[in-house]
Amino acid sequence: MKIKDLIHVTITAFFVTSCDMLETHPYDVKISGERGINAKNTALIEQKMAGRTNMRFGVISDTQRRYNDTEDVVSALNARGDLDFVVHCGDLSDFGATREFEWQRDILNDLKVPYVTVIGNHDCLGTGEDTYLEIFGELNYAFTAGDVRFVCLNTNALEYDYSRPVPDFDYIESEIEYCNAEGSGINRTIVVMHVKPTEMVFNNNVAKPFQHYITMLPGLQFCLYGHEHQLTVDDLFGDGVLYYQCPAVYKRYYLLFTLNSDGSYDYEAVEF
Amino acid sequence: MTMKQWSFRILLAIIMTAISSQAWAQADEVEIFQVEKDTIVARTRYDKRLDRYQRFWNALIPRNFKFQMYGGMGLVNIGVGWRYGKNHQWETDLLFGLIPKYESHSTKVTMTLKENFTPWKVHLKGNLYFQPLSTGLYFNTVFSDQFWTHEPSRYPRGYYGFSTRVRTHVFVGERLKLYIPESKRHNFRSISVFYEISSCDLYIVSAATNSYLKPKDYLVLSLGLICEIF
Repeated sequence: MKIKDLIHVTITAFFVTSCDMLETHPYDVKISGERGINAKNTALIEQKMAGRTNMRFGVISDTQRRYNDTEDVVSALNARGDLDFVVHCGDLSDFGATREFEWQRDILNDLKVPYVTVIGNHDCLGTGEDTYLEIFGELNYAFTAGDVRFVCLNTNALEYDYSRPVPDFDYIESEIEYCNAEGSGINRTIVVMHVKPTEMVFNNNVAKPFQHYITMLPGLQFCLYGHEHQLTVDDLFGDGVLYYQCPAVYKRYYLLFTLNSDGSYDYEAVEF
Repeated sequence: MTMKQWSFRILLAIIMTAISSQAWAQADEVEIFQVEKDTIVARTRYDKRLDRYQRFWNALIPRNFKFQMYGGMGLVNIGVGWRYGKNHQWETDLLFGLIPKYESHSTKVTMTLKENFTPWKVHLKGNLYFQPLSTGLYFNTVFSDQFWTHEPSRYPRGYYGFSTRVRTHVFVGERLKLYIPESKRHNFRSISVFYEISSCDLYIVSAATNSYLKPKDYLVLSLGLICEIF
C-alpha cells in the first residue's frame, strides 16, 4: 500500500512539474500567468497619484537577457521606499521569445510600486510583438500621474519596415488634443520611447516632424528612452527639450526623477 | 547567424551523404544472377544498372514513422525516419509540426530535421527492450513571414546576429521498444515510446549567464512514438 502511494505521488509530481516543461515552441505565444500589465498598472498609478503635483519615479531599460541584473535593480528600487512608480524604456526580451517576456514580467512583478513598459526593437522580433501586446499591452498608450501626462510611444520604425505608421502621428495628435483640452488637468508631459529620433531604428525622415508634434504637448518636460545602453543627456534638436537615455541594466544604473510641485524637476543616475 | 546557416547546411549535407552512401552500400551488395527457365542467364549491363538503381532508391525508403509532441518543435509533429549504422543506432527524422494560434496572428507549420543516436538496447522481458540513452540534436524552422533566417536587408549586417526562424535544440532521452512477433505483425515491426529533455540555443545562452533561470525554465520535455515499418 505504501509503495503504491509512493508511486502515485511520484507520478503526480512528475506530471505536475512536467506540465510546465511541455513547450510547443519558443515563439508559440502560449502565455501563462499575468497579462495586461500596463493597463492594470497605469490604473493603479492614476488612482494613487490623483491630485498630486510632486512625484518620484525610477527609470530602467534594456533588461533583455539580464535576469540577475534585473532582479538586482528590482531589489535596489524596492529598497528605496520613496518611489511612486517605475518606467521601463523597452527591450525586455532579447530574441522576442515568449518565455523571455514571462521571465521579465515575473521579476518586475516583484516591484513594490506599479511599473509600466514601452516596446523595444528586440521585443518586436519573431512573435515578440504578439507576446508583448498580450502580456504588457498597447504599443502606444498614455497615463496621467497627478498633473503629468506620460505619453508612451512605439518608435521602433525599422522593425516594421515602414509598413505601419511608427511613430504614430495620429496617436500623438490625439494626445495633444486630450492634454490641451480645457479641464484636462494636465500641466506637464513626459514622452517615453525606446529609440530616440536620429537613431537608426527611428524613422528619421520624420525625426523633425516628430519633435514638432511632441513639443505641442503642454509643458513638455523631457523625453525618456533607452536602446543604446548608454547614460546620456542630449538636447537633440537644439530646442531645449532634453532626451535622457537610461543605460541598459547591465551597466548597473537606474535613473531617478523627482518632479516638484513648483514645476521643476531633479534627476539622478543611481548606481546599484 | 551565418555560422548557424552554414552549420545547418553542412549537417544536412552530412546526413544526406550518410543516407545516400548507405543506399549505395546496399546497392553494391553481391550481385545475384537471375534464374530463368532453368537456365542461368548472365545479366546485361542494363539489368545490372537497373538493379543498382532500384536498390539505391529502395534504401531511401523511410523505415520509421515518428510522432512527437512538444519539445519546442510544435505541438504535434509527424514524420518519417531512416535508420542506419551497424546496429541501426543512428536515425534521421524529418518531421512536420503545428504551432496552434494561441495569442499570435496565425497557426504555423514547422519543419524539423532531427538526428538521433541510440547506442544501447537492454533486453527486459520477452519482446520488450529498454534503450537507456537516446541523444542528438534537431533543427527547427517555422513557415511564417514573421520570422527570418537571414536578417532582412533593412538591418545593418549582423545587427541581431541570430536567426529568428531556425532553432537548434539538443536532447537526451530514453526509449522503451516492443518488437511485434512476426506472426502478429500487421503494419509495424516494432513500436517504441520515448521521452526527451531538450533545450534550444536561445535558452542555453540565456541560462549560461543567469543563475535566475532554473532547469524548469530552460529545459523542455517531449513525448513520442516510433513505429518501425521494416
